Amino acid sequence: MWTDESETRILYVQTHGIADPGRSATPFFLAASAAAMEFEVMIYFTMYGPTLLRRDVVDRIGPKGEQGQRLRYFIEQATGLGVRLLICQMSLDLNDLRLDDLIDGVEMIGGAAFNDLAVSADAVISF
Amino acid sequence: MSVRPKPEFGGERTSRSETQKGDVVSESSVPVVDQVLDCTGLACPLPVVKTAKAIKKLAQGQVLELLATDPGVEPDMRAWSSRTGNDLLGISKQADVFHILIRRVK
Repeated sequence: MWTDESETRILYVQTHGIADPGRSATPFFLAASAAAMEFEVMIYFTMYGPTLLRRDVVDRIGPKGEQGQRLRYFIEQATGLGVRLLICQMSLDLNDLRLDDLIDGVEMIGGAAFNDLAVSADAVISF
Repeated sequence: MSVRPKPEFGGERTSRSETQKGDVVSESSVPVVDQVLDCTGLACPLPVVKTAKAIKKLAQGQVLELLATDPGVEPDMRAWSSRTGNDLLGISKQADVFHILIRRVK
């Protein structure tokens, strides 16, 4: 799934969800910075992570809860620079979500694809 | 804000003495700046993100001057320039504002 467009690849992993807003935005910040450095960047949302991508959440909360910038701002900052967002079916099930409940553009992968991305990345950074 | 020593310039800068007497010259106009990007008041990662977008709008060889107050901008822009292959011509700090000159290389 990595393209050959960049020499450097970073895979971020977000495991935290809406129950811990303070942990929601940093992976998007770092991913945006990495993309600005012309790295190829993906964020994989697993465990509670997919809840951050809910359509009914992204305009409601941000890292400071209901104060300050909302998640959509941080998400679009990253995706606007080419960062790709990945989830897996099992973590959708865990949170009783369907792909349609999430914002557009999220890509579905599975465990094998995740592991393949991880071993071929230059860095895997997990939150 | 704490008082910090002024960062040294990272590269050569054309001497101000080359300008003619009477010219209206701001500190930032040496060397010739093609575009100024004002990121004062913006926090990480916006200066990096906006610089990455702005530099792509310049032609190769043109110079971008980034103005930023984010306290981490100096190591950030050194890392960014080195990774993207653009030339960081110099960093200076005037009052609370970092002035960062970057020449688009590729």
